[in-house]
Amino acid sequence: MPDFSLSRRSLLASSAALMASTALPRFAWAQTPKAGGRLVVAADSEPRNLNPAIVASNGVFFVSSKVIETLAEADYTAKDQLAPRLATSWEGAADGRSVTFKLREGVTWHDGKPFTAADVAFSALEVWKPLQNLGRTVFKDLEAVETPDDHTAVFKFSKPTPFQLVRNALPALSSVVPKHLYEGTRIEENPANNAPVGTGPFKFAEYKAGQYYRLEKNPAYWEKDQPYLDEIIYQVLPDRTSAANALEAGEIQLAAFSAVPLADLERISKVPGLTVVTKGYEGLTYQLVVEINHRRKELANLKVRQAIAHAIDKNFVVKTVFLGYAHAATGPVPANDPQFYTPDVETYPFDVAKANALLDAAGYKKGADGTRFSLRLLPAPYFNETKQFGDYLRQALAAVGIDAQLVNNDSAAHIKAVYTDHAFDLAVGPPVFRGDPAISTTILVQSGIPDGVPFSNQGGYKNAEIDAIIEKASEELDAEKRTELYREFQKKVAADLPLINVAEWSFTSVASDKVRNIANNPRWAVSNWADTWLAE
Amino acid sequence: MTRTLRLVRRRLVGSVFVLLIVVVGSFLMLEAAPGDAVDAYVVSMGGDAGLVEALRHSWGLDQSIWTRLANYLWALLHLDLGWSVTFSRPIRDVVLERLPNTLLLMGSATALSFFLGSALGIVAGARPGSLRDRLLSTGSLALYAVPSFWLALVLVIVFAVDLRWLPIAGIETIASNKTGLARAADIAWHLVLPVSALGFIYLALYLRMMRAGMAEVWRQDFILAARARGLPRRRIVLAHVARNALLPLVTMLGLQSAQMLGGSVVIESVFSVPGLGRLAQEAVAGRDTPLLLGIILVSAVTVVLINLAVDIAYALLDPRVGANEATA
Amino acid sequence: MRGRFLQTPEAMAGTAILVLLATMALAAPLIFPGDPLRIAGPALVPPFQDWTLPLGTDRLGRDVLAELFHGARTSLVVGLAAAAASLAVGAVIGTLAGFAGGLADEALMRLTDAFQTVPGFLLALAFVSIVGPSLSVVVMAIALSAWTGPARIARAEVLSIRERDFVAGARVVGMHPLEIAFREVLPNALPPVLALSSIIVAQAILIEAALSFLGLGDPNRVTWGGMVAEGRTVLRTAPFLSIVPGIALVVTVLGVYLAGEGAVESAAVKKGLS
Repeated sequence: MPDFSLSRRSLLASSAALMASTALPRFAWAQTPKAGGRLVVAADSEPRNLNPAIVASNGVFFVSSKVIETLAEADYTAKDQLAPRLATSWEGAADGRSVTFKLREGVTWHDGKPFTAADVAFSALEVWKPLQNLGRTVFKDLEAVETPDDHTAVFKFSKPTPFQLVRNALPALSSVVPKHLYEGTRIEENPANNAPVGTGPFKFAEYKAGQYYRLEKNPAYWEKDQPYLDEIIYQVLPDRTSAANALEAGEIQLAAFSAVPLADLERISKVPGLTVVTKGYEGLTYQLVVEINHRRKELANLKVRQAIAHAIDKNFVVKTVFLGYAHAATGPVPANDPQFYTPDVETYPFDVAKANALLDAAGYKKGADGTRFSLRLLPAPYFNETKQFGDYLRQALAAVGIDAQLVNNDSAAHIKAVYTDHAFDLAVGPPVFRGDPAISTTILVQSGIPDGVPFSNQGGYKNAEIDAIIEKASEELDAEKRTELYREFQKKVAADLPLINVAEWSFTSVASDKVRNIANNPRWAVSNWADTWLAE
Repeated sequence: MTRTLRLVRRRLVGSVFVLLIVVVGSFLMLEAAPGDAVDAYVVSMGGDAGLVEALRHSWGLDQSIWTRLANYLWALLHLDLGWSVTFSRPIRDVVLERLPNTLLLMGSATALSFFLGSALGIVAGARPGSLRDRLLSTGSLALYAVPSFWLALVLVIVFAVDLRWLPIAGIETIASNKTGLARAADIAWHLVLPVSALGFIYLALYLRMMRAGMAEVWRQDFILAARARGLPRRRIVLAHVARNALLPLVTMLGLQSAQMLGGSVVIESVFSVPGLGRLAQEAVAGRDTPLLLGIILVSAVTVVLINLAVDIAYALLDPRVGANEATA
Repeated sequence: MRGRFLQTPEAMAGTAILVLLATMALAAPLIFPGDPLRIAGPALVPPFQDWTLPLGTDRLGRDVLAELFHGARTSLVVGLAAAAASLAVGAVIGTLAGFAGGLADEALMRLTDAFQTVPGFLLALAFVSIVGPSLSVVVMAIALSAWTGPARIARAEVLSIRERDFVAGARVVGMHPLEIAFREVLPNALPPVLALSSIIVAQAILIEAALSFLGLGDPNRVTWGGMVAEGRTVLRTAPFLSIVPGIALVVTVLGVYLAGEGAVESAAVKKGLS
């Protein structure tokens, strides 16, 4: 089991919430779920393409995971941390060239057509492999999908593909779309991308741009008696403070993905009837990373990178920027990952004197104005916390004589500046850890990635040794050996600092006490909510 | 009547040039933006180099800027505003769907500031220089100095969160299936806070203009004559002074329309009103250049039409106008 | 003149506010040397708790009083720079249009119409997000829509001046038309144009605040609008973080209006509040 206690502070916060709601029974699962009701949740953005088979991102999953299901979902306790969904079992061949899925029987699409292995084969070969942002990596060697009967799909790979990687990719990457609606059309422009048809517990009902998405109960869902809710409504609330206000006024019952600002959590946890939940995001860990442009001669110097690492007070960042809802990072794999993480790496304790000494040793003496050199710092604008960390980093660098000028871009301009134009010296980014280094953290370090690939190594870093480890791990079939390779990878990255990992954080939810069965899996906010129900 | 028609015709011809400048100027300005629609798409959706290139091609972003400008203008001639890549819908539909909400917000806020402003202006101008006058003038000016987003935040917390009298956000109760009068009442209810946040700020404009106008009229001969005739003060104020001071306020309505439209951007954002202003923000964030152009163009057309309406109203109210009105 | 200027309590109050503000802006680097964005203490210290941090600290532990002083500087700079830029551009375009007449006048006035037709805030929003937020860009964005008022007034003044004797005289002497326009006509057309400056300064401060509120401020500078925007996420837990700069904004803008009005009234130029 992963460690959920992000920090003492967050424990305190959640226990405060617990106490605030003692009037209501917390152990909701002891009660019989009640069917019916409308759940209104806050949505801060409006994804236009709701097809998770093409766009595997949390913004899309948040809505569409209730409509379109994956082969398996993440789970706290089941074997391999996976619970069956559309697949009931999965088996990898010893040579790494095939994976066999047994599929659930008696499942129908929302339009009444039966779900069969042909849908899985079509989704894998025509959507995940060629079109999906992450599927292109995992399924790059997928050659064919054999369907010996309607409920068996055998994935055939041209090169050995680690079963561990395939397994880890299932919750996020294996959304199955209906072949009969997509076959023979331009998949990217199919109208079903905006009004998805799936097998999930909820049917897509309507979308009013700028106002809401509405999902309604699928009475023919394969799990008996589920879903419990009649309707889920995602109310679009783009303003940072609206979600908290709407919760307090009782207009919505749930705000996920930290829609309530961290600074407001302590206060809102004391509001009667509301609970702050920090569980349910373990499979969606975000990493706070300082991306470094190694083309800049000062930053190509390891001593300078070490100095910057020493100049950052990670505890201050956790305590002040994240208000305790995070913890300090040691390397490129987050500590709450149950498979790959190792704490046995080089660390950089906060030490201004040492940072100054390292910079002096690197040959960058302080000038008359106390400054050694200037650089451009581009914090990613997607989260409040990345921007605030940018403000902090500017001050932390000033303390060691580095003058950082903040550049404030919106998302589109940030992506262009960092990943296409390389017009940055330092950038602050929040990459997502997706349960396997091959589909997340390695891309920020690996060399040979073409210009313009967002959220990848665009800092010009090249390290043959690290590249070799990544390459070898991508073909290693033995799960243990593969894990060992990634531990080696973490050590090398922490030693050579192609980037600086500062902190790791997950999101929080604030929910009405009436909402039951929440946060019961590690990707809860983006899971199907079939068993969620509303108490009186 | 023909005089009014001539005025309308001349205004419309001038407007075509103005709108052309707006379109070409905005197009060129937006082209200079770093990052395009594909970059913005990739932020929310993720993607790699292959996808990026494919999208750029299929969205026509790999053509030259002049080709795209020419295509855009040609399409405009057919009243086609183009295709929004962020919404996957025709821009005309997207914009027209949002326009009524903004017009409703703007119109109600304008009505509020106009009527309340001029009414208070009459109260203040009835006795120029009195304490009442000074309090109203300075007080409204203080309101005019408040940033609208700030007023909006405070109103939300007091009336929606703490007192729970009014809804926090949105234009109507979501997915309520209300129709007809019930729906109209629901929308009006949701608009109370946004309209107040926008309308109270511009109150000062009309109040002070009314008051200044009245001060002017007080000094004129016919008022002196009316006073000499011993007409009651209240009657003089309403029937003579206020009526004559009202005319310039009508012009103000037109001049203010562009500012109101701009002001609604922030208000729509705070109150999650699905209007043109928020659409503009989404278009900027999504680098949806054709959409933003469409919004700018539609706003400009709206402002032109409002001003035209004001001119006509003015011409009808005041027979001196129009005969030899200045060109600019 | 001076006596008349300070004749109403409103004008006196406005002037007092502006003097105070200017003092704050000038004294900021002396009283609070160094970067006001420096982390000075623990985060979220409420006001009046710690005498070294009289107004408390913000989310990152920065001194609110230091930010307030330095923010006065930025707000004034933005307001004055935007007013100067729009008055300059407006006066030049208005003078050219009025003096040249004919087709040039027509073209320039259609251009002015175009800028007046597009909602100014929309234009500023688009411009700043495109060029990237920095103080100078924000100033330009504000000036982009604010120059039209001065242009119209300058043109109207020039139209009335250009037929006067001294202009005709200059023509007879053989001065270049541009020289006449800018040396003889413009200076005489300027006073009513300048009367607009207080409104532009006040509007500029408010627009900068609104842009910061939408996340389009310069992150390397403290502005009051930026402080309000940042304090907004903790509006309920630490309301002082947005109330203090909010009040500063209102008082300043009100001061500018009142003082401006006093000046205009004393100059006996009767213009409405437009």
